[in-house]
Amino acid sequence: MTAITEAESRTAATAAVLADEFLAAIQRGDLDTAFRSVSPAAEVVIHPAGQAGGAEIARDFFREALAAFPDLMLTVTRRTACSDGRVLIELTFEGTQAADFLGAINQEKHLDVEQAWLLATRDGVITAITGFWDQNKLYRRLAVKRLDRIAIA
Amino acid sequence: MTQTLKKAPAEIVSEFFAAYRKHDVAGMADLCADNADFHYLPVEIWGKQWVIRGDGKVNGIGRVLWSGLITAFPDLSNEVTSLSSAPDGTVVAEVMLSGRQAGPWGAIGNRGQQFTLPHLFVLHVNSEELIDSITAHWDNASFYRQLGHAEVD
Repeated sequence: MTAITEAESRTAATAAVLADEFLAAIQRGDLDTAFRSVSPAAEVVIHPAGQAGGAEIARDFFREALAAFPDLMLTVTRRTACSDGRVLIELTFEGTQAADFLGAINQEKHLDVEQAWLLATRDGVITAITGFWDQNKLYRRLAVKRLDRIAIA
Repeated sequence: MTQTLKKAPAEIVSEFFAAYRKHDVAGMADLCADNADFHYLPVEIWGKQWVIRGDGKVNGIGRVLWSGLITAFPDLSNEVTSLSSAPDGTVVAEVMLSGRQAGPWGAIGNRGQQFTLPHLFVLHVNSEELIDSITAHWDNASFYRQLGHAEVD
């Protein structure tokens, strides 16, 4: 029989709290607090943005998102805390564009796109952040017509 | 709720992706509950007055999409790069799908291009050791670019 051990359940619960606090701080626009729990050596991959590197990559992404969508709402649709310390946050990223974003010029369009953020945690610290979403859907919402001419309306 | 099963949910999910590698759509569906939910979030096909989304059941749109993808990409394969399990039977899987186009895929004509695309799957295994929900995230912009398709559609 397979069963989750108490230690694994505790790991999952601790990771969930860390992820919730990270996201809540981002939602408030408080990146200093959010990234205080991210290891400087964290491995970050944001697949749709084609970005990979350290913690600063994720911080820059959220800084740009908050600037481009001043009314940004991150609505969590599911949060899954795993026994190995990883946490998946699925959310809707929603707001009205007020500045260029990921190459798409500002046409004041409303954006709503589902995202998945996979956070790895260890010893109370976020050690990896991986982002998934459909950039084609994001471009469609922002009225981009062609993938080879993102900045042309 | 914590589950106690004969077979670990991650093992069942591994069998699911093994069946996918063998292009065994019936085998994939056999690992799922009859009414298993299916959510391929990037699937969104727009007409003039309608939109078709990748939401439904495994035994409906799920089988149709899996079979269609295998037909369009006859060498379709996958590599599971990480699996994490939650106490409630949810399994988070990072999976790299790849293949070379040999037929049309939706509105994308065959240009014989190869793709390699990271996916995030979220599957839930129920107390009967069957997958009762599948959600997938990926980036269609990257997929379309690799296939030589530049239109945001």
